[in-house]
Amino acid sequence: MTVLGVIRLSVLTVPRNVSLYRRGNEEFLHKTYSSYGPHYVKPHVTTEKRKELIESGEAETLKLIPIKAALNYETCSVFHDELTRKFTNHVMRCGKKALARELIEKTFEKIKRIQLEKYHKTPEDQKESIIKDPVKILHDAISNSKPLLELTPVKRGGVRYQVPVPITENRSLFLAIKWLITSAKDKDRKIHFPEKLAWELLDAAANQGRVVKRKVDLHRQCEANKAFAHYRWS
Amino acid sequence: MIPIIKFVVRNSNYVSWSSSSVTANGAKVLWPSTLTVSFCTNNNDSEKKPSVKKTSKAMKAYLERARKHEEFIKKENLEYQIGKRHLANMMGEDPEFFTQEDVNKAIEYLFPSGLFEPKARPFMKPPEEVYPPQKAAEFDEAGRPYHFLFYTGKANFYKLLYEVVENINNLNKYEDRMIRKHLTPDPTQAMSMIGSQWLPQDVLEHRLVEPLHESQYAAFKLAFDRLVSHPYSYRVRDFIEEYRKPLVNQVALQQIPEPQYDENGRPYVTTTNCLRKRSWAEVTVRGAGSGKISINGQGLDYFAEIQSREQILFPLIMTKQLKNVDVEAKVIGGGPSGQAGAIRWGIAFCLRSFVDKEMIEQMRLAGLLTRDYRKPERKKPGQAGKRKKFTWKKR
Repeated sequence: MTVLGVIRLSVLTVPRNVSLYRRGNEEFLHKTYSSYGPHYVKPHVTTEKRKELIESGEAETLKLIPIKAALNYETCSVFHDELTRKFTNHVMRCGKKALARELIEKTFEKIKRIQLEKYHKTPEDQKESIIKDPVKILHDAISNSKPLLELTPVKRGGVRYQVPVPITENRSLFLAIKWLITSAKDKDRKIHFPEKLAWELLDAAANQGRVVKRKVDLHRQCEANKAFAHYRWS
Repeated sequence: MIPIIKFVVRNSNYVSWSSSSVTANGAKVLWPSTLTVSFCTNNNDSEKKPSVKKTSKAMKAYLERARKHEEFIKKENLEYQIGKRHLANMMGEDPEFFTQEDVNKAIEYLFPSGLFEPKARPFMKPPEEVYPPQKAAEFDEAGRPYHFLFYTGKANFYKLLYEVVENINNLNKYEDRMIRKHLTPDPTQAMSMIGSQWLPQDVLEHRLVEPLHESQYAAFKLAFDRLVSHPYSYRVRDFIEEYRKPLVNQVALQQIPEPQYDENGRPYVTTTNCLRKRSWAEVTVRGAGSGKISINGQGLDYFAEIQSREQILFPLIMTKQLKNVDVEAKVIGGGPSGQAGAIRWGIAFCLRSFVDKEMIEQMRLAGLLTRDYRKPERKKPGQAGKRKKFTWKKR
């Protein structure tokens, strides 16, 4: 009998993306499980962003840093709009992105038709004031629907007070999108979603309609409850 | 403990595998030397005997351990050499000129493994690489440790942290002195962390000769980050740079293939093995084209979804080559998203041969040249899917 060397099984390696952080006197290990290494950074997909990087000289510093692969929805196309993509993802149900995208495109078509009709009906000197770009209308609608404050229940002495609190930019965006979509879904059975959404967006872009009213109502309630604001910290 | 598998090959078997009789001779030459090992070590023992009275128990135990380890490594080394000769003979090659690379190839051929993790597959390496190096004696004859941090269990590691803190304290004192003199740190000498990273955990472990826990490695990085963030950190530049590893631009190192020319005199580049998720693609990009795209014989409408079509066009739009090149792709496996991703990577990789260096760097920044290694999460036993559970009914 002869022995043929040593062949061993090594222990599987653990992910190395580990960092230490402190909260009070306790130390915590923060682990992230990623197929990329710890020093990979996100890609800069848009042409404007890359131009900026070169002008500011940051591109030089990025030269040695590995970049993550661009995600499957990212593109440098001029037709790509980040906010529209975000809105589409909120419209999406059960992961049917193609359907959600189709609905948004139909909405945009509807908006375009309505605005073009309006454009041709208006007299020559007022024509410039009409926005014909549906993406611009979506942006306006969302920025007009964004709330600044929110009411959160806080229990003090057995009583629940509705306390106004300032919200983050992200939360504000989320609420605006959610309100626009829910108000568009609240419709007659015979009306299609893209049609209703187009009306809602046009209303909100003109700073009127149900969603803007909802925002104003919330702000009014916050104003009425401002006496409770100190419960946020006391 | 790491499990060890010893593969035993019977003579009869292995004679039938390789017809030459040199193999048997090779084995015979090496076998008797195993016996001499034990004699040699016995001699070593007898030399140490006079000092037995003075040595402490710890020292004795250490000497015993060191001797055993040396013996063990010697034995493993011998087994490795024999194994290498056998492998060489089995593969029908000259045992004298059989390199480690050949050994790896032979093991992969003889013991094919379907295991996913490459490190879990069988391998044969010299024992010095497999077994970690051991520390030399850390205490004197009387059993008194040399190192002031011996009783922490990880003396070298804690010594390193101690040095970092000492440096920070010294720099603080220096900063105070400078403030009293109304001087500010020199901005031209400020430490730049660009282009290098902290030593990876395994390299650090090897340097300190101590196994580290993840949290200890995190503490190492945290301590050094604090030192680097000090305004006068450039005064200890040498100490910091000892623990940094330079980064390399991998994309710049890759060789860009020269375009080949077809019968019509058009330049073309083919990239095979374009992978993404469960898809495989082979992409050919032809120069002097008009923007024709053919995927499995169809046009861009091979993909029903617009998002997938956008992905195909992404590298072409970015490099402004949409109307200058033709793309031919063959793709199999996976879904539309994965297939589009595979082709996108293939097109970007081919386009490197048609654009200038600056544009290649731009493509790298946009994340087009990075291979996306993310895979679908596996299904778990006892569950319907990767995360989904079976319907649960109480009764």
